[in-house]
Amino acid sequence: MVDLLPQWLRDVLGQDVLFWLGYFTNGKHLSWYASVQYTLAAGAIGAAVALGLGVLSAAGRNSRFAGFRLLGKAYTNSLPGIPDVLFFLFFPLAFEQAVEWIRAQAVCTPAELALGRWPLCPDANLIFGSFEYLILAGVSLGIVYGAFAGNVISGAMNSVPRGQLEAARAYGMSPLQVLLRVHIRQMWAYALPGLSNIWMLLIKATSLLSLLQISDIVLWADRLGSPNFTRSAGLVHPDWRWGYYLVLLIFYILLTFLSEKLFTALQRWAGRGMATAGAS
Amino acid sequence: MNKLVLAAAAAALAMFATGANAQAIRIATEGAYAPWNFLDEAGKPAGFEIDLGNEICKRAALECAFQVNEWDSIIPNLVAGNYDLIMAGMSITDERKQSIDFTANYFPPDPSHYMVRTGTKLDFDALSGKNIGVQGGTIQAGYAETTFGSTNTIKSFETADQALADLNAGNVDVVLADSSYISEIVAGSGGAIEVVGPEVMLGGGVGAGVRKADTELRDKVTGVIDAMKQDGSLDALIIKWFPDKAPGPIFAGG
Amino acid sequence: MELITAIANDLVILAKPALFNIYFAAASIPIGFVLAIFVALGKGSSSGLVSSLSRGFIYAFRGSPFFIQLFMFYSLALAFNLSLWKPLGIDWIVLNPLILGPAVLVLNTTAYTANILHGAMQNVPKGEIEAARAFGMNRLQLFRAVTWPNVIRIAWPAYTNEVVVLFHTTALVYFTLPVINDQKDLMNKAGELFEKDYNAFLHFPVAGLYFLGVSMIIFFVFGRVYRHLMRHLPQAPAIRFSPRWIRG
Repeated sequence: MVDLLPQWLRDVLGQDVLFWLGYFTNGKHLSWYASVQYTLAAGAIGAAVALGLGVLSAAGRNSRFAGFRLLGKAYTNSLPGIPDVLFFLFFPLAFEQAVEWIRAQAVCTPAELALGRWPLCPDANLIFGSFEYLILAGVSLGIVYGAFAGNVISGAMNSVPRGQLEAARAYGMSPLQVLLRVHIRQMWAYALPGLSNIWMLLIKATSLLSLLQISDIVLWADRLGSPNFTRSAGLVHPDWRWGYYLVLLIFYILLTFLSEKLFTALQRWAGRGMATAGAS
Repeated sequence: MNKLVLAAAAAALAMFATGANAQAIRIATEGAYAPWNFLDEAGKPAGFEIDLGNEICKRAALECAFQVNEWDSIIPNLVAGNYDLIMAGMSITDERKQSIDFTANYFPPDPSHYMVRTGTKLDFDALSGKNIGVQGGTIQAGYAETTFGSTNTIKSFETADQALADLNAGNVDVVLADSSYISEIVAGSGGAIEVVGPEVMLGGGVGAGVRKADTELRDKVTGVIDAMKQDGSLDALIIKWFPDKAPGPIFAGG
Repeated sequence: MELITAIANDLVILAKPALFNIYFAAASIPIGFVLAIFVALGKGSSSGLVSSLSRGFIYAFRGSPFFIQLFMFYSLALAFNLSLWKPLGIDWIVLNPLILGPAVLVLNTTAYTANILHGAMQNVPKGEIEAARAFGMNRLQLFRAVTWPNVIRIAWPAYTNEVVVLFHTTALVYFTLPVINDQKDLMNKAGELFEKDYNAFLHFPVAGLYFLGVSMIIFFVFGRVYRHLMRHLPQAPAIRFSPRWIRG
């Protein structure tokens, strides 16, 4: 990367600066910077799944059918009782095993199935790489925080003043129109503060990706910072890990800061024309 | 809508199909155990085992790709089928043979050494009250636990490099690891780290780990390793990455 | 029947590891609570420096993942080992996971709790404070007799959630710190059991049961305390089990 700089700039910078510039832009560091995409991708997948499940479970909790109500309540009440990291590790493993078990019923011989040993048989084996694990990681974050989102959204649905809905009905809107144009439209203003909090939790939970063997920013920081005394393995240096972790810490604080700004803007947008605290 | 469903079904099928593709071999390595395996300046796996793995695959006409997996879950993830081969400086032991199989060894049984900060005096016959650092789940961890565990504190780390960091910072008094790993560190530490005490012989050399059911792959890789032992190319590769093993012979002609 | 014995078996094996998680939480919650009172007062302080320091502390710890805080503080503590902790003879305290783990948890919970307490302080009824001033109370008396009882009542439901979340956070401690001898917490041990027989559907849910169980106990005990705090009201409101989002 340093080679790309014009000669006059290289002269100005001097050997030392160029060396460090070169070091911090070597392939290993570039991989580190690039691995931010996994963090952001897991966050984005997680947010989408969480929002979808949040709406579904909120609808379930307010459903006319007792079964859906029970399902919605069980989901939104039980998942917050366990640590996110536990579910985060459990879900991808459980998903893989469940799919393999179903496949095994079709492709394994009865003798292999009878053994009951894991894995059931080679043909049923699924090979998951980092890509599949990244998707699974995002989905499991989504499932965990979807339970929180369900609580927030169902609370927000109940916060919309009844008078607004009655007024909409009085105007002759159909039930679907009332739901979409008034109820859900106004719900966002009440739900956004809570959803903002969930997003902050979710983005922080993306720091766990390395536990699923994804080469994310945390894994690279550890590998880059660990001491190296072996000359053939690159620059010999002592333990630099805390510096790398400090960079990660600042990265996450910046992410939080930007998210706050974004949600403030969203809040203003969602609350436009409404007499709530979020309205401008 | 129908198209969406079709696309999802196709994606699901593609996901299943990858399981059946036999010619592509995935090799897991730790990437934190120089010079055996590490991540080079370009961020790619490199080292003795990466060179060896690529050579084996070339000779056996396999299509290989290395992937990095943390040490402590490297055997379970092999069994679970996330990859097909482990080349991560893993010693062949009876305990590991209960869950996986090994190819022929591609590195002879190698003594383990104790490394300390230079100047540390230890009485290995009556070691007590010391902090002993090991990488969790290694043969050295098992040995330290049974030999010193009752009167000393054993600290297990995720990677050998983390144990080294704690040794260098004085948080552990001594680290027990493969001599092949330690000798390069001592040479590169500029006198900060030295080897003390007795040698310990552990394990039956280093081999590649395979699933028990994969006998075909095991025999194929073993065949190539044996051929490389005979023609001296394995010795040359070992000497390239472990200069203190020169001049040999190590395997050749044996 | 086989399943029940398997679950019972796991419950027994995981009992000791659960004590580590309970210890981490129990060691850090009281200290964090006391420190949080000072940081919350600091955030509301009229001194610009104290206020911005407190704000910065709260923002930094609430804005970053505990996982990375723990990594950073461990490697930072390690960097000062030979120059500082060893000469002082306290290296075995500073770098001990049983001390360092709770210490980082304390910093973390202090920030979250201070934020909750500060929010509550803003919501103390102004009239009560004016009345107390009119009685001629000094600042300490005012805090003890009027501000604090209000603050604790307002903050208690959110603080209950914080305590439960902190207990969940203890699951991360031994992912980062070196494991000493056979001191393993719930996550370590569940992972170890899984690696032996690949039964993800047994070991992880049983570890989850421990977390769920202790969470329930926390809610029950803190709910009792809440009823006591609210005993002046004709009908004490109950703490709702769920929204952890209060923490954010």
